[in-house]
Amino acid sequence: MAIDPICKMTVDEKTAKFTSEYKGKKYYFCAPGCKKKFDGDPAKYA
Amino acid sequence: MAAPENRKAELKITGMHCATCAVNIEESLSKIKDVEKAQVNFGTDTAHVEFDPKNVSIHDLEKAVKEAGYDVVNHEVTISVGGMMCATCVETIEAALNELPGIITAMVNLGTEKAYVTYNPSLSSTGDMKKAIEDAGYQYLGISGEVSEEAEKKAREADLHEKFVRFIVGFAVSIPLMIAMYLPLPISMHTLAYVMLVIGTPVFVYVAAPIFRAAWVSLSHRTLSMDVMYAMGTGVSFVASVMGTFGIILTHEFMFYDTAIMLAAFLMLGRYLEARAKGRTSEAIKKLAGLRVKVATVIRNGSEQEMPVEEVVTGDLVIVKPGAKVPVDGTVVEGESYVNEAMITGEPVPPLKSKGSHVVGGTLNTNSVITVRAEKIGKDTVLAQIIRLVEDAQGSKPPVQRIADIAVTYFIPAVLLVAAATFVVWYFILHATALFALTALISILVVACPCALGLATPTAVTVGVGRGAELGILIRNGEALEVGEKVTTVIFDKTGTLTRGTPEVTDVLPVGIPPQTLLALAAAVEKNSQHPLGAAMVKAAQKGSVTIEPATHFDTFAGKGVAATVIDETVLVGNRVFLLDNSIIIPSELEDKITAIEQEGKTGVLVAAGGRMAGIIAIADTLKPTTKEAIDRLRDMGIRVAMITGDNRRTAEAIARQVGIETVISEVLPQDKEEEVKALQAKGEVVAFVGDGINDAPALAQADVGIAIGSGTDVAIESGDIVLIRDDLLDAVAAIQISRKVMRRIKGNIFWAFAYNAALIPVAAGVLYPSFGITFRPELAALAMAASSVTVVSLSLLLKRYIPDAKKGR
Repeated sequence: MAIDPICKMTVDEKTAKFTSEYKGKKYYFCAPGCKKKFDGDPAKYA
Repeated sequence: MAAPENRKAELKITGMHCATCAVNIEESLSKIKDVEKAQVNFGTDTAHVEFDPKNVSIHDLEKAVKEAGYDVVNHEVTISVGGMMCATCVETIEAALNELPGIITAMVNLGTEKAYVTYNPSLSSTGDMKKAIEDAGYQYLGISGEVSEEAEKKAREADLHEKFVRFIVGFAVSIPLMIAMYLPLPISMHTLAYVMLVIGTPVFVYVAAPIFRAAWVSLSHRTLSMDVMYAMGTGVSFVASVMGTFGIILTHEFMFYDTAIMLAAFLMLGRYLEARAKGRTSEAIKKLAGLRVKVATVIRNGSEQEMPVEEVVTGDLVIVKPGAKVPVDGTVVEGESYVNEAMITGEPVPPLKSKGSHVVGGTLNTNSVITVRAEKIGKDTVLAQIIRLVEDAQGSKPPVQRIADIAVTYFIPAVLLVAAATFVVWYFILHATALFALTALISILVVACPCALGLATPTAVTVGVGRGAELGILIRNGEALEVGEKVTTVIFDKTGTLTRGTPEVTDVLPVGIPPQTLLALAAAVEKNSQHPLGAAMVKAAQKGSVTIEPATHFDTFAGKGVAATVIDETVLVGNRVFLLDNSIIIPSELEDKITAIEQEGKTGVLVAAGGRMAGIIAIADTLKPTTKEAIDRLRDMGIRVAMITGDNRRTAEAIARQVGIETVISEVLPQDKEEEVKALQAKGEVVAFVGDGINDAPALAQADVGIAIGSGTDVAIESGDIVLIRDDLLDAVAAIQISRKVMRRIKGNIFWAFAYNAALIPVAAGVLYPSFGITFRPELAALAMAASSVTVVSLSLLLKRYIPDAKKGR
C-alpha cells in the first residue's frame, strides 16, 4: 500500500486512479484534490 | 458605453423602506472603486451594479450594502458531490467554487458529501457550479436542496408578518390608553401618568424599535434618512411624556404616550401596506419566471432519462410529451404537434410544429409527442433573455427619477429646519403653549415623508414594463420609456418591416393563353433558379394548385433571366432586354402594361414560349396586413412618419402612396441609414426607428428609440431599445402608447407625492390655525403619510390593466 503524500491516507496502488510521477518516482493519491495540490508544488511534498 | 469587461450583478435587498434608503445604498455602492454604475430600485428591492470584476467582487458589493445598514438576500443551494476522499478534496472544491464570480460562501462537508453554497444567481448559475466541481475532478451528483425564489418569498413574508404584529400591538395598546386619557377615571392624572409610563414604555420600545434602529444606522453613516425624522417625531413625543410624568421642565399636560405609540403603529402600518403593494408590482416577471421548466426528458445512451434542465446540453435530444412545456430552445427532429406559444408571443392560435420547425422553451406542447434537438440552453434561451431584459428594465430608472432623487436629498434637512422654525415661531414669537408648539413640530416631522416620491417612478416603471412584456412589447430600460414618450418622427424600414420582405406574385397578365398556363410555364423554369422572384412564381403556382412540369436544358443568364425547355418548347423568363436579345417581339400594348406595373412599384417579369410572347407576371413585396392602420394611428397621435429603403424612388413612392407615407427616403444603402437618422435628429426631431435588425442595426442604435420587430419566437432581443416579439406594426404604436401612458403616470405620481407634502407640511405647521382653528394631530399626520404612499402605488398598479389603444378589441 502507498501513502498519499498530501493527506497521508493509505492508497491501494492497484486501484488508485490518481497518480503523478515526480523525479522518476510514482506517487498515489486518494482523489483529484490531493493530486492537484501535489502537482502544484511537488518538491514540497515529495 | 461601459467597458466590455464590466460585469453586471443584481442584488436582492431587504430593509429598504424609503427613497432615501435607495439613495444611501446607491452612494455606498458607488463609493467602491471600480464600480461603474449602481442603481437601486426601491420599488422592486433590487440593486443593479455594474463593476470591474478584476478589482471588485460580489463580497465587496454585499459589504457595502450591509455597511449602509441593509441586507442582501442570496440564493442557497446544496449540491451532492461524489469522489471526495479527504480534507484536501474539501479545500479543492471550495477553492474551485469560490473562483466563480457569484459565490458568496461555499462550504463543503466531507461527511455528508455535500457542498453548501450561497450565491448570487445573476452572476453564477448552478450549471457553472457543476462545471467547476467537474473541472476539479469530482462528480456533480445533482441538487439536493435549494433555497432560491423561496428564500426571497419567505424573507418577504417574515418581514410582512413582523410589521403586521408590530402595528397591531401598537394599536391594541395605544387606543385604550387614548380612551383612558379622556375618561373620567377615579385616579389622579398624576397616577395615570405613572400607569401609562409602565404600560407604554415596553410597547413603545417594541413597536418603534425598527425605526430607531434604522435611524441609528443612518446617523452613524452621517446621512439623514426618513427614519431620523420619524425617530425624532416619535422620540420627542415619548421623551416629552416622560419629562411630563416626572415634572421635569414640562407639566402633566404633556401626555403623549398614546400618541407616540400610535404614531409608531401608523408608521408600521404604512410600511406594511407599502411592502404588500410593492410585492405585487413585479408579478409579470414572476409569471414569466414561472414558465421556466425544471425537468427535461432526454435520450442519453439510448434510454429516456429525466434530469434537471440545467444538465441538458446542446445537441441533446429532448422528448416533449403532450401537455408538457418545451424545456429548451431547439429544432424538432421527430414528430408533429401544435405548440402553444401564446405565453411568449401572445399569438393565440398554436402553430403546427413539424420536423425542422423551431421551438422555444416555456411554450406548451398540446397534442402529440415531439423530439427536439436542444440548441440553446440556460441563459441563452429566448425565455431567459426576455426575463433578463424585463428584469433589467424594471430595475432601471428613467432620467426623470433623478430629479426626484435629488429633491429627496435636500428635502430632509429642509424639513428638519421647517420643523425647528415652526417650534421657535409658535413658542417664542407667537407665545403659543409649549404643548401646541411641540404638537406642530411632531406633526411636521411625521407628515413630511417623501416615501411616495421614492415610489412614484419605480413602481410605475416596474408595472409598465411588466405589462409591456405581457403584450409582447419588451422595453429595455426606463430611458426608452421616457424617450418613447417624446418621439416626434417614426422612420420605418421598408423591406421586412412595412412589407413582408418576401416578393409575391400580384398580377398575371397572359397573352392568348389561360393565366394558369402562364404561371405553370414560368414556375417550371424558375423551379431550378435561386432567384427570389423565381421563388415567388413557384409559390404562386403551388398555391393555385397548378401542375408544374419538369424542365430540361436549364440555363441562367445573369441579370437578364433564365431559359429552359418545358414539354419540347423553349421557355424564356426574364426582363425586356433578355427577350429582345432572343428576338422576341413585344407588342406595344404589352409595353404599356409593363410601364403601368412599374409605376405601381412592382417588377414585371416577361415570359415567352416557343418564340412568342406568352405574358407578364407582376411581382411585388406586399404590405403586411396591419401596416396601413399602424401608420394612420401614428399620424393621429401627431407623429410624423417616414419610410427609408434601398429601393429606387419609383418603387418606394408607390409603396408609400399605398399606406399614406409622405416622407420617403429612397435609394439609401444599408450603411447610410444611420446617417439619415442623424440628419433628422439634427433638425431637432426625436426619432424612433422601426426595423427588423437585419441590416439596420446601426440605424436602430443611432435612433433615439430603436424599435426592433421580431417574428414570433425568433426575436433578435439584443437589437433594440424596444423589442416587439410579434411581427405586427401595431405593436410599435402600442409601444409608444405604453411609453406615454407610463410617463404620464410617473409624472402624476410625482405630482401627488409633492402635493401631499406641499399641502400637509403647512397644515401640520399650524398655518391654518390662526384663521380656521385647524391643526393636525400627529396620528393623522402618520395616516396621511401612509395614504400618500398607498395612493401612488395603487395608481401604478392600475397600469397592470392598461390596454394600449392600438391593441383594443384585438
